[in-house]
Amino acid sequence: MLSKYISKGFTRRTFLKTSAAATAALGLPKVALAAGEPIKIGFLAPLTGAVAAWGKPGLDGCMIWAERVNAAGGIMLADGPHPVEFVAYDEEYDPAKARTGATKLIREDGVSFIMMLGGDPWPGVQPVAERTGMLFSTLLPSDLSPDTKTLLAPAEVHPIYNVTGVEWLAQNKPELKTAVMCAQDDALGLPSVATYLAAFEAAGIEMLDEPLLFDPATTDFAPVVTRLMAKNPDIICLDTCYSDYVHPIAEQLFQQNFKGQIISCTADFYDQMIAKTSKEFMEGFIFQFPDFDDPALNAENVNFQDPNGFYAEYNKRHPGQWGAVSWEYASIMDLWKVAAEKAGSADPEAVLAAMKDGPGNHAFGEAEWWGNELFGIDNALVGDWPVVAIEDGKAVIKEFRSIPDWYNRHGDLLIKHMQAYGQMWDQRG
Amino acid sequence: MLKPMMFLLGAAALIALPHGLSFSQQEILVFMVINILLVMSYRLLTLTGEWSLGHVVIMGVGAYASALMTKNLGVPVPLGMILGGVAAALLAVLLSFPLFRMKGFYFLIGSFAAGEIIRLIWKRFREPFGGVRGISGIDPMPDFSIGFYSFDFFEPVSYYYFAGAIVAFCLWVLWRIEKSPVGLTFHAVHWQDKLAQASGVNLRAYRTLAFAIASGFAGIAGALQAHYVGTVNPNSFDIEVMVFVLTWAIVGGTTTFYGPILGCVLLTVINEIVLRGMGFEQARPLFYGAIMILSILFLPNGLESIVQKFIPRKSAAKSDRKAEA
Amino acid sequence: MMELLAQTGLNAVYAASYISLVAVGLVLIFGVMGVINFAHGELFMAGAYAVVALYADMHLPFFVAVPIGMVFVGVLGLVMERGLFRPLKGNPLGGLVASIGFLMILQSLAVMGFGVRMEHIPPVTQEVWRISDKVGLPVARIYVIVAAVVLLSALWYFLKRTRFGWALRASAQDPEAAALQGISITQTARIAMFIGAALAGVAGALTAPLVSVNPHMGHSVIVTAFIVIIVGGVGSLEGAIIASVVYAFVHTFVTTFSDGVLADIVGLMLMLVVLIVKPTGLFGSADRA
Repeated sequence: MLSKYISKGFTRRTFLKTSAAATAALGLPKVALAAGEPIKIGFLAPLTGAVAAWGKPGLDGCMIWAERVNAAGGIMLADGPHPVEFVAYDEEYDPAKARTGATKLIREDGVSFIMMLGGDPWPGVQPVAERTGMLFSTLLPSDLSPDTKTLLAPAEVHPIYNVTGVEWLAQNKPELKTAVMCAQDDALGLPSVATYLAAFEAAGIEMLDEPLLFDPATTDFAPVVTRLMAKNPDIICLDTCYSDYVHPIAEQLFQQNFKGQIISCTADFYDQMIAKTSKEFMEGFIFQFPDFDDPALNAENVNFQDPNGFYAEYNKRHPGQWGAVSWEYASIMDLWKVAAEKAGSADPEAVLAAMKDGPGNHAFGEAEWWGNELFGIDNALVGDWPVVAIEDGKAVIKEFRSIPDWYNRHGDLLIKHMQAYGQMWDQRG
Repeated sequence: MLKPMMFLLGAAALIALPHGLSFSQQEILVFMVINILLVMSYRLLTLTGEWSLGHVVIMGVGAYASALMTKNLGVPVPLGMILGGVAAALLAVLLSFPLFRMKGFYFLIGSFAAGEIIRLIWKRFREPFGGVRGISGIDPMPDFSIGFYSFDFFEPVSYYYFAGAIVAFCLWVLWRIEKSPVGLTFHAVHWQDKLAQASGVNLRAYRTLAFAIASGFAGIAGALQAHYVGTVNPNSFDIEVMVFVLTWAIVGGTTTFYGPILGCVLLTVINEIVLRGMGFEQARPLFYGAIMILSILFLPNGLESIVQKFIPRKSAAKSDRKAEA
Repeated sequence: MMELLAQTGLNAVYAASYISLVAVGLVLIFGVMGVINFAHGELFMAGAYAVVALYADMHLPFFVAVPIGMVFVGVLGLVMERGLFRPLKGNPLGGLVASIGFLMILQSLAVMGFGVRMEHIPPVTQEVWRISDKVGLPVARIYVIVAAVVLLSALWYFLKRTRFGWALRASAQDPEAAALQGISITQTARIAMFIGAALAGVAGALTAPLVSVNPHMGHSVIVTAFIVIIVGGVGSLEGAIIASVVYAFVHTFVTTFSDGVLADIVGLMLMLVVLIVKPTGLFGSADRA
């Protein structure tokens, strides 16, 4: 793949950079522990601006990951151990800046792999990925398409895993029959709306109202909550809202005297939500993201390295900043490390081949490469996903549930609702 | 014959420029060239005294129009770019009916509202605008060869030459317009609108004309960007981007032709190269903001005022008319 | 249905209160200084962060933290007046750019001091004033409503009944004539900036426990405030208050009875229609701007 772009834009500089990258990949035999050329990993996500909360905490997590890996000897390739280091570029959630950043990371810094948040900036990077063959990862599988074979969604297959929470709820609390939903009108909210609609339909739960969409700039949620409660639903579903929305919505549900079940994709900083409402109110709140000190994560099937230690270290360094993105980028790195060591090389093509050779070691257990029907390519890693409930003020993993199982039974419903919201890969503009 | 010599030297320097830069700097250069066209088209509008907050959205109209026409109707990319400019100009004519009922501050905010409505329309109507995700996979400019140089439009150097040539041509047109009787009338509309009206100038028509021309060139800039990046979405044209255009124009100064170019080049280099290079990730907006404040405090007439000091009296006299008023 | 209407009405009253505090501040600054303060949303944000620091982190009582936050943001206003707007007198575009620069600085400072994540503020009270099982108004929201009514009434009294207020209004109407009357323009500018900023700050401080406090929270506030002051007529304090109420009711009711995105479109359309029908806003005078 590298040869492809050397032949296209061959200059002395490209040559130097690519040969530097190649030496980083192949390297020379080294004896000392992790004394080889450092392997550089690109981190291309928003670090400033309104979306920074989806990038910066992830970079903080990666720094901890790198320290832990380097202390344990680094990445063991065919020619010996290599330390790993991260090179970050702030793409400000803008496609043009992301393109510039990808170019810099690949052609100047010689990185072996680039992690992105994805979303709006991805289409700007896509031509660069195609031309250079660089391996990329995204947190948003809706970026996947058959056009780019080297883009993976290995951490979370948002929003498909949300079906596990609904299914768990239907089985464990069958008395809940009706639901309503609200979501912010953006690239994260809409596919999630379609997923929850499919999950509720599959579970035989009736939607009392059309999903209520609100603008991402909303600050006062009292009107939204008043509307949600107007039809007396058993379940209120908060879709995939950012914590900036989940908290005030929960606070308003409490203040407006909601007594039913709440289900949400995320509940980052749920301790603060409890402080704003009450322990009794939050009891039984269902969501999808466990605390990493949960004992269930020490089970055999979980592949995230030392989740409890990572969580403790993260909270020590960045108190109050823990959220889903804090571990997701690091979990991608776990997966990448395994693949690179299997391939014996950091070369993007070799790592990709090693990664997709058989099932992948997803953070929450062994998983398969999947997604052809939804994304046009099997580049999303799907397996079990935890259903988490708040019990006595603490998030507890209730169960790991299989996403493919659900999909094999109800895939047609998901496709139907995804199509209605224009979210299928071949419907994207 | 000093002038043609200077001109040739300048052109040679601009052609050589990207070869002295790193890859990412070449990318930044491409976007800077496009932004120069954007800010220069904005300047034409400001000549009539109106400051808009919708200019970046108008740029987006050109980008969306060109992207949709090339993608859905199979229009060739270069033609799509021109039609993108035309679409932006036509929309500007349409918008002029409500907007030119207002002046000054009201026009500023009115243009902002009009722009927000256009953006909400893009978000709301997934067909054909693609909703919040916008449009991706926009056709790139097809590669071609002119004998001694083959254009590969993935490479920033190639696109820089291509966009640079178009922008240079557009700037020349803008220059001609400004120096023509029409351009002089634009100035008159701004500074002496009562008088201009009394001498039979149709103020509204000239304002609309300036708005349409400015929007047309902004649309071309948008199309240039869309076919390079390959994607457009509503957030790429929001008020935060507009704020940057506004500051380039004001920090550079708008009384001379080169003022906004100075502002755009200097502020882009500071933000994208110097501050990034110094590693202030989180603090980058802080330094950028401080530099903006300092420059406006100490150079209230823009960066162009420094240049004017060093330029011989003759050419300074030319711009006196504008600068004084 | 009656209950839904009643609850929505109460929601709208709260929204109208904090919006009018922000909008009146913005109008006051524009009226006296002649500049559009783009950083007004960030002054709101600064007020909220003052409560984060004093109440959430340092555990001062909320009703001590709010006035301190209000004065703190008022002082920020004085800094802007002295550092930015006074040197840039007669250069409204320069003032605009300077306030944008100030906005970026405030946002960065918030990010560096507190992180990019939203902040947690423990509730001040969880009491709810209940009318029925379905209709109620949280006491924390009542505080905001009461504060808005008290502060805006005090401002009204100050403007109409005191000499300072008279000077302020005079220089807002015609700075040159005011100067001839022996009014110190600098002094009135200082007072206007302090009050205008402090109103935004107190709105941010009071609503901090009710909204998500993050470094970018100012953005949506300033957009709303712009719409409101256009509808009300730039430079008209009464107009700003009435337009806040109109906007809050329209937006709240459309959100509850249709959806939030449509509510934004309706809000913008409302503003555009007002601009087209009466380009100076409902209460604006023609010659200002």
